[in-house]
Amino acid sequence: MILLEARDLVVDRGRSHVLRGASLALHAGEALALVGPNAAGKSTLLRTMAGLLRASAGTVRLKERILSAWERDALARAVALVSAEDEGPATLHVADRVALGRYPHRGPFRPLTAHDHEAVDRALAQAGIEHLAARPLGTLSAGERQLAAVARGLAQEPEVLLLDEPAAHLDVGHQLALFAVLDDVRRRGVAVLAVVHDLQRAGAWAERMALLFGGRVIDEGAPAAVLAGPGAAEAFGVAIRAHRVAELDHPLYSFTGRSARP
Amino acid sequence: MKATGVSARRRTFAILLLALPAGLIVATSVGSVALPVASVLASVLSHLGLTVSPSLPPAAEAILWSVRLPRVLLAALVGGGLGLVGAALQSLFRNPMADSGLLGVGPGAALGAVIAVQVGLQNVLLGLPLAAFAGALAAVFAVYALAHAGGRPSLQGLLLTGIAVSALAAAATSVLLVSAEEYRVRTILFWLSGSLEGRGWEHTRLGAAFILAGSGALLLVARPLDVLSLGDEEASSLSLPVHRTRMAIFCLASLVAGPATALAGSVPFVGLVAPHALRPLVGPLARHLLPASFLGGALLVVLADLAARSLNARIDLPLGSLTAFFGAPYFLIALRASEGRS
Repeated sequence: MILLEARDLVVDRGRSHVLRGASLALHAGEALALVGPNAAGKSTLLRTMAGLLRASAGTVRLKERILSAWERDALARAVALVSAEDEGPATLHVADRVALGRYPHRGPFRPLTAHDHEAVDRALAQAGIEHLAARPLGTLSAGERQLAAVARGLAQEPEVLLLDEPAAHLDVGHQLALFAVLDDVRRRGVAVLAVVHDLQRAGAWAERMALLFGGRVIDEGAPAAVLAGPGAAEAFGVAIRAHRVAELDHPLYSFTGRSARP
Repeated sequence: MKATGVSARRRTFAILLLALPAGLIVATSVGSVALPVASVLASVLSHLGLTVSPSLPPAAEAILWSVRLPRVLLAALVGGGLGLVGAALQSLFRNPMADSGLLGVGPGAALGAVIAVQVGLQNVLLGLPLAAFAGALAAVFAVYALAHAGGRPSLQGLLLTGIAVSALAAAATSVLLVSAEEYRVRTILFWLSGSLEGRGWEHTRLGAAFILAGSGALLLVARPLDVLSLGDEEASSLSLPVHRTRMAIFCLASLVAGPATALAGSVPFVGLVAPHALRPLVGPLARHLLPASFLGGALLVVLADLAARSLNARIDLPLGSLTAFFGAPYFLIALRASEGRS
């Protein structure tokens, strides 16, 4: 079932088109990695699909209903966005920051209920950061802060979780922890769409990969197939080779530069 | 850690809720004519209809009810309003150094006051504060309108517009000041340096109406303020209408800071010191920090005004200078401490 679908999106920033007819469909309960070179429009596509940016042409539909027909709070209960820059006051406690994810459910005035507190506790547990609940954000490492941002997204109890480079700036241990959390979230039926910069990591994590280049999705499918295709080589300007390793269930990739980029 | 957080917050509120009434009573009893604390308490209780023993001689009763109490209560209102607005603007601008100065309120009020003195309005009942309030609102309106001239302003755009409008108002004030007659300059300087001297019930009532209503409204938007403090994008993705919320808070803050500045002149540092000192104790959530900053700011200005009128027997010292005298060193020490830690 298609949960969130972008069709022929054109988005302008200033005078130039960032997206020029980008289409992407996210199915219920799948893990989809969005990859592409710098300035391909990945963040723009993600934000437009979250309803934060307006497209000058094309449509985004959530459950077959056009995004602009959704009430803001209903949309935020269905779609959560977590970006790498997510910050908060240094003195704010992790539990309080995650509890702000209940805003779309309670609005400005209604007090949080027992159900809200359960959702917050569940989100902290799923992100594996219950032990950090009473810590101020300023005392966390970058990886812990990112997990707190993901937990805020989970506290929204969304059907779709959108993430913009969630593993940027994280060491390998925190990267693995983060993608393990995303796997767990997906197994609970949440559709996860993540912009991932590291192709190796994207290939290992995602069930499906979409390649954005020049404002359009030029290829999508199984990660191994997308990375082996001509589109990826052209988009990144490198030769990509897959290497099978006996003890791994996904290939490792090597990249070699080409003298002239198109 | 969670336990200490909650208990530190409770303890802080308990201390503030005890210290503020104590400060009010002490400030009411101290002055050129000393009124015994017990008699002050008895008189207040009898006025509230709780007891029937008139314990003060008529002259003292008059000093208490028509001089001291309105002034001390106004000090509490001004300080509370400035403290609470400082805390709200620090969340809004995501900057711990933000305060009501960024709204253009101070320089706008000053310009209004100078114009009022120039045309001789200072002798009309409430002429000066109303003119200052009008000046403050005009400045805030100018900031709002100019910031929106090129579409919805960014946080940065709003901040810089506030600074530019403040500079313009300050420049106009200086021009009027140097061209004013000498006896008027003295009145203006006195107002600019902040003072509560001679403030009566008419001032206190005016201040109470705006400051309490505006502060109450800001407390109602505590949760949107917290969501805003996460940044525009996250706030927007959580369904908060970022621009509308920001401008509503901006206007409410002006509604509190405008009258506070108009009634007391410039009282710097209260909006910075009260939230800064209380944030580590009660946390950054607006529903805790805003009321704590109101109580803390009120206590600060009540004590500062007490010092202003009792340190020198002959004249009132400028209230604004006193808050700066303790505020500026406090900030330098806090800055040193935070740099030493990092």
